[in-house]
Amino acid sequence: MKKWLSKASLLGIAVILVFAFSGCTAKPNASSSGGKEILKLNSGAEPTSLDPPMGYDQVSWDPLNNLMEGLTRLGKDNQPQPAIAQKWDVSADGKTYTFHIRKNAKWDNGDDLTAGDFVYAWKQMLDPKKAAPAAFLAYLIAGGEAYNTGKGSANDVQVKAIDSKTLQVTLTSAQSYFISMVSNPAFFPVDQKVAEKNSKWYANASTFVGNGPFKLASWKHDSNMVFKKSSTYWDKNTVKLDEVDWAMVSDPNTEYQMYKTGQLDMAGVPADLSSQFFKQGKVHVAQQAGTYFFSMNVNMKPFNNINIRRAFAMAVDNKQITDYVVKQKNVPAYGFVSPGFKDPSGQDFRAHSGNLYNYDPAQAKKLLAQGMKEEGWQTLPPVTLTYNTSDNNKSIAEAIQAMYQKNLGINIKLANMEWNVYQSQQKAGKFQFSRGSFLADYGDPINFLENFQTGMPINSMEWSNSEYDSLIKQAKNEKDDTKRFALMYKAEKLLFQQMPLFTTYFYNQTFLLNSKVHGLVFHPAAYIDLKWASKTN
Amino acid sequence: MAKFIIKRFTAMILTLWVITTLTFILMHAIPGSPFNNSSGKAISGAALKNMEAHYHMNQPLSIQYLIYLKSVATFNFGPSIKQPAQTVNDLLGRGFPVSFELGMWTLIVAILSGVLLGVLAALKHNGLIDYIAMTIAVFGISIPDFVLATMLIQEFAVNLQWFPAGTWQGVSYMILPIIALATGPMAIIARLIRSSMLEVLTQDYIRTAQAKGLSPVLIVFKHALKNALLPVVTVLGTLAAAILTGTFVIEKIFAIPGMGKYFVDSINSRDYPVIMGTTVFYSAILIVMLFLVDIAYGWLDPRIKMDREAR
Repeated sequence: MKKWLSKASLLGIAVILVFAFSGCTAKPNASSSGGKEILKLNSGAEPTSLDPPMGYDQVSWDPLNNLMEGLTRLGKDNQPQPAIAQKWDVSADGKTYTFHIRKNAKWDNGDDLTAGDFVYAWKQMLDPKKAAPAAFLAYLIAGGEAYNTGKGSANDVQVKAIDSKTLQVTLTSAQSYFISMVSNPAFFPVDQKVAEKNSKWYANASTFVGNGPFKLASWKHDSNMVFKKSSTYWDKNTVKLDEVDWAMVSDPNTEYQMYKTGQLDMAGVPADLSSQFFKQGKVHVAQQAGTYFFSMNVNMKPFNNINIRRAFAMAVDNKQITDYVVKQKNVPAYGFVSPGFKDPSGQDFRAHSGNLYNYDPAQAKKLLAQGMKEEGWQTLPPVTLTYNTSDNNKSIAEAIQAMYQKNLGINIKLANMEWNVYQSQQKAGKFQFSRGSFLADYGDPINFLENFQTGMPINSMEWSNSEYDSLIKQAKNEKDDTKRFALMYKAEKLLFQQMPLFTTYFYNQTFLLNSKVHGLVFHPAAYIDLKWASKTN
Repeated sequence: MAKFIIKRFTAMILTLWVITTLTFILMHAIPGSPFNNSSGKAISGAALKNMEAHYHMNQPLSIQYLIYLKSVATFNFGPSIKQPAQTVNDLLGRGFPVSFELGMWTLIVAILSGVLLGVLAALKHNGLIDYIAMTIAVFGISIPDFVLATMLIQEFAVNLQWFPAGTWQGVSYMILPIIALATGPMAIIARLIRSSMLEVLTQDYIRTAQAKGLSPVLIVFKHALKNALLPVVTVLGTLAAAILTGTFVIEKIFAIPGMGKYFVDSINSRDYPVIMGTTVFYSAILIVMLFLVDIAYGWLDPRIKMDREAR
């Protein structure tokens, strides 16, 4: 029996040795890339879907934006550039677009990329049976909404292949931002030949067919993806990276540790170290088209009164919140459309429209008194501010609570809810006063402003203003961009005169980046672009 | 024995049915919807209607329950709502092997080291080894695995650079998560073994064995340990089911593509097919484990008869 015991202990020692050895042999950041430029990114999670209109979120569209390409691609200046389409013509009424597809546009399996691939993809996106969440983006194509809502047929959707390399699209009205919109992943083409043979072509690397700067070389679900430089991309000489490795790490601390050990080239800024990194100038900041705001339900007391709504808005010091609460170098917002959209005169929408209200505690106090007098209230009806549970939202809500106490002398209550429940309740208009967020789907101010038409899903303030609705409608039908922007300026001004919401700050993305990496492009209203990126060894 | 197995099997099916029904009721009782986007993007009314129809969610709950029962019975849960390109079976099929591999190693490490520590502590009762072993055990029980995991990463991945900080690509990636995950169970096992060994070692039959002049090793491993293992086996059933099906926190911290995250993420995103897939799968594993525990009882202690009712 003693023999047996010694055998067991030998085995134990052997196991320990194996572990110890394997630990020594496999150092994590073996930088034996062999002179290749390999960029290591983290997508944060498994993509929802790489089927273009099904993803509809950043984890899917960040990678997809580099595996595929639409008719246009956003340039480094965020303006749409010719991509798969070499050029296009617009009819005199601004409604019909004719795209001329590059002769050398190819799929990465060698198939020729045709106009038919776009027709196929866009009709798929609008197919009500497919139930694509991004389908509504294509409602500006004539017949699109009818087909998607089951009132029309696929044949009535006004997108046609004139010949194999010419695509014609007719819109419901002249909308010049269509050129920018077709750069969005929802409008990417699909290789019809492949998709008709295998309806789940997008689910695995072996069957995925793209047409972008990179090719999907391998995809271990929930684990990692490897992109290799595409040899069939029409502009392959511009692409510098040989390979992009995407990890799928959801824990921000692990992401940061992997960044420190060289397993990643880019990472988010850990919350507890952020002020230190900002001070050292290590944090990169990219603009994001989106706004953090608060909705006031105009059907509930006390927000039925416009002066009280204005008082609540003007008593909040946004600069204080961005500088001392959020601390991520966000721009304080006193308007809804975020910076980064140029009007035809070349001026930024936000700069032209200016601050539509200001932090003014004295005025706020006066407005509150006036509003209460108008309503005949001696005491203000109780107010509860609801937000979805998160540290950032909590800190902001508490700061606002303190500002109301100090500036208006009123006590509001705070309530928080889990994100999913919150969304359902907010959509149902159940909140009196609640936190809202908006992230743009495409690069035009109309995408921001259309949300406050009567009955839109984001309009949880239940605000309805016929003048506003008509301004948005006119803007959507206006083919002259100067007039269109004038209408949008007017609409935003009206929104803040009526004040069913007030804004806090514009979103941004902050991150740490390996100093060897250059040329990453972040678009405010779109997805990461690696086409121009490089990494020096 | 056959009678016992048939009886247990019927009971298992019944248990599963109760669990699935409760899960169905509970998951539909939580407010919220699977179509709420995690990034908060609003989906238009028409797209929402199309999606509800696609997943039969426009049907009355009773019909949905029947569809659900059918999918449980055939073990075919359909596509995930959150990841429409994948079926629930795809998710479990690729997540479970990873969790299972990690879990098996964890169990092996935890049982071997736990039993060893426990036996040593009991033999050297109130001696230095006992105190050391029990200090390790108290440490293991009181430090949560996610704290340990973070400390391990900081020390062994970031400072010493011996092991990678995360992801799942080979043996060197497994060491830290196994240690993080095994320490707690090891401590529990060590304490259980110690106390039951102490009890067993004072019994008459051990004294008899000693009087007969048997070697101490034989007494400990053949006579004492076999009886002392009973409480450990009881714990192991639930422990193994939990560990083998993946752990949310450890898998998240080490970025391991196991199935642990589906338990939590599916509930947060109200991904109904995935909720029922994970629940049914976990329940099935748990029930099988408990069954194995019952069998093991009979083997370890012949006084426990499986088909006692049949007498």
